[in-house]
Amino acid sequence: MRDCRSTESFYLYLEGELGAFERRGLEAHLETCPACREVLAKRRLLHEAFISLPPLEVPPDFALSVMDRLPEPAEATARWLAPLVAGTASLVVGLLGFYLLTGESLSDILVAVSRSFSSGFGRLLPLFAKLLKVGGLLLDVAFGFVTMLGQGLVTLLSALGPEGIGLILGLGLLLSLLLFFGAKRLLSLGEKA
Amino acid sequence: MTEDSTLVVQALKGDRKAFEMIVRKYEQPLTNYLGRMTGEREAALDFTQEVFIKVYCSLGSYRPAYKFSPWLFKIASNHLIDHWRKKKLPTLSLDQPIDDEDGSLTPQVPDPGPSVTRKFELAEIRQKIERALGFLPAALRELFVLRHVNEFSYEEIADIKSLPVGTVKNRVFQAKEMLRKRMEGS
Repeated sequence: MRDCRSTESFYLYLEGELGAFERRGLEAHLETCPACREVLAKRRLLHEAFISLPPLEVPPDFALSVMDRLPEPAEATARWLAPLVAGTASLVVGLLGFYLLTGESLSDILVAVSRSFSSGFGRLLPLFAKLLKVGGLLLDVAFGFVTMLGQGLVTLLSALGPEGIGLILGLGLLLSLLLFFGAKRLLSLGEKA
Repeated sequence: MTEDSTLVVQALKGDRKAFEMIVRKYEQPLTNYLGRMTGEREAALDFTQEVFIKVYCSLGSYRPAYKFSPWLFKIASNHLIDHWRKKKLPTLSLDQPIDDEDGSLTPQVPDPGPSVTRKFELAEIRQKIERALGFLPAALRELFVLRHVNEFSYEEIADIKSLPVGTVKNRVFQAKEMLRKRMEGS
């Protein structure tokens, strides 16, 4: 018959998986199609059997037997231990390799490392001092600029008077609203696209 | 955070009681799933134990933002696949279309009658389904079991099996029609 639905639709209908539109369409069709009603009735019984298959019996002490077979917590915590061991091992291998290649002893290596650190720090210290000085100057300039801006604004407001301030606030509000709705419109157009 | 996620966090801190609660909560659904997949209760119980041990060792990789049960069943599914690969069990291609001669099949499932009769019919059909399940290709059987025995949504099954939702729906449908035909043939 025309408009008869696929068998898959019947299963999805019984599972409640059809969308509202498809469901209504199917229900309307079922009212007029005895053949589809018969197919649905058969699938309904099958579906009821599918969803009510009995559970398999699990022994009452099953969970305890699982717990007995679990690895010890030490194995579980070994997750953080492994990278630590790997890191230490690579350090030892690196130092050993360095010793074998250069013939320097471990104490020589440590002295060399500490020297390079202290000389590097010594070079960086004047740079830090200069950075602090420049930072202070920049702060001074910024403070002067903000003060000047404030004074200018006060002078402008006193020159404009209450009507002028009202006008500027109104225009500002209008501009903000235009910007807000314009951005919203742009975003919705983008979503649609 | 869900109840399961909280239990996982506690188990990760070394609280074995928390993990035992997870085992107690999921031992039945996992056995139902693995039992239908292996066809043997004893084997299913062994598999369930192995899966719980795997889960315990992988708890650190679970992300609490996601639902716990699909993650658990993903591990169970992969465990089964590994087992079958080792055993080299034959698999059937899912690309072959099933013989869908809808009109030609004589329906043997009777119309619903009074409730006692219906209960009897349902019990009989359930037995037939259990027998017919063993004849389904493993991949279809798994999707059917996840959907109708374990009651996962199609979206969750798609997540567990890393398949598109449409494919899952179609394969569950194929499984049901193959079961029906098998039952009618028996």
